[in-house]
Amino acid sequence: MMYATIERIGETSIRTARSFYETLAFSSLVFFKMFDRTSYNSAMRMVLVNQIYFTSVQVLPLFIAVSILFGSPMVGITLQVLKHFGLADRMGSVLMGFIVTELSPFMTVLLIALRSSSAINAEIAVMKVNRELKTLDVFGIDVLDYLFLPRIINGILSIVCLSSLFSILALASGALFSRFLFDLGINEYTNLLFLSADFSDLFILLVKCILLGFFITLIPIRFGLRATDELTSIPVSVLNGMVKVFIAIVIIEVLSLLLRFL
Amino acid sequence: MKLFPREEILERTLAVTSAEHRDRLGLVAMDVPLISNLDILGNLALIKQFRENLPKREAEALVLSYLQRFDMERIAYRRNPNLSAEERFCAMLIRAVLVPEAFVVIDRPLKIVPDLQENRFFHDMLTKVEDLWSSCVIFDYPWNRERYEDIPVDIDEL
Repeated sequence: MMYATIERIGETSIRTARSFYETLAFSSLVFFKMFDRTSYNSAMRMVLVNQIYFTSVQVLPLFIAVSILFGSPMVGITLQVLKHFGLADRMGSVLMGFIVTELSPFMTVLLIALRSSSAINAEIAVMKVNRELKTLDVFGIDVLDYLFLPRIINGILSIVCLSSLFSILALASGALFSRFLFDLGINEYTNLLFLSADFSDLFILLVKCILLGFFITLIPIRFGLRATDELTSIPVSVLNGMVKVFIAIVIIEVLSLLLRFL
Repeated sequence: MKLFPREEILERTLAVTSAEHRDRLGLVAMDVPLISNLDILGNLALIKQFRENLPKREAEALVLSYLQRFDMERIAYRRNPNLSAEERFCAMLIRAVLVPEAFVVIDRPLKIVPDLQENRFFHDMLTKVEDLWSSCVIFDYPWNRERYEDIPVDIDEL
């Protein structure tokens, strides 16, 4: 009984460590491919443009609506609380430290992961089941260049750009609330934000967005590739992939918090 | 054309041939399907775009000119599931000859076109792109020989 339990713990640990190592190995392979000029051929560029359209442009109306409907009340409540506790002087650092560096990337990655990561995972799994990956291989088309790289680059660009858009919309609504609650003019509000902006926080935010974009596309690709030749393996691969995406988001969020506050 | 007495011999020879001519292999086979989330134009242009970095517009113009040879421009914007078996074979054949210096290997074409009405179908298809390959070989079984009326390749019964 005791031995069996220890054996199971050991097996799980080895499996987790191996999976983690494989993900990092695959990540380094993709990372170096990103800087290889030969990867950017006509077909790859076409896929990249399509991916940007499907992930970032098509989602814009929904994303803007969510940013306004969720971001504005959030900013409003935050400023109301600050006023209530007499912390109006902390407004800039709270807006920059919470809304811009924490809430914006989190909301963005949530939407992109739910919408695009699952789609990528299913798409790669379907291609694997249909033997379409074999087709690409037979015709000398590198799946890393043609399928994976455009999706990963698009993931990075989407998270960085949409996160910035969320921040801009949230801060714009902050300008309105600060006008009503604190009678702050737009110039004073802007100055306050600039004075509260910490370069190191913004750098961590950028790195966090890049890492989030990278891993929420890379992990679904890896799990899509794990599908077998059977249709029933598609939902299993999507399920496993999305759980790992969630874990990756949590790890990156925790690491960024540790970096900021330690 | 190579006619094999048994499936395992055919598959072994096919694997060896594919490996030998890997860089210029244009394989037409049921288990090398068209990409389902691309239309036919995208499927075929992809070969030129990826392998020769041809701009999208030029690659598509070239593909359309090949489709015109078969009078098949109508399938350009369709996807794989919406094609008839004959149209699918035609698309796969064009994809194969788009490989530079193509060594075209057609693996058991009757798997792709199982309900063939015309024994001259393969002859008609192959003669339209005869000028585009460097060599072409068909793999099949002796009992299907009569389905290949007048095909423009040598027949070799093993």
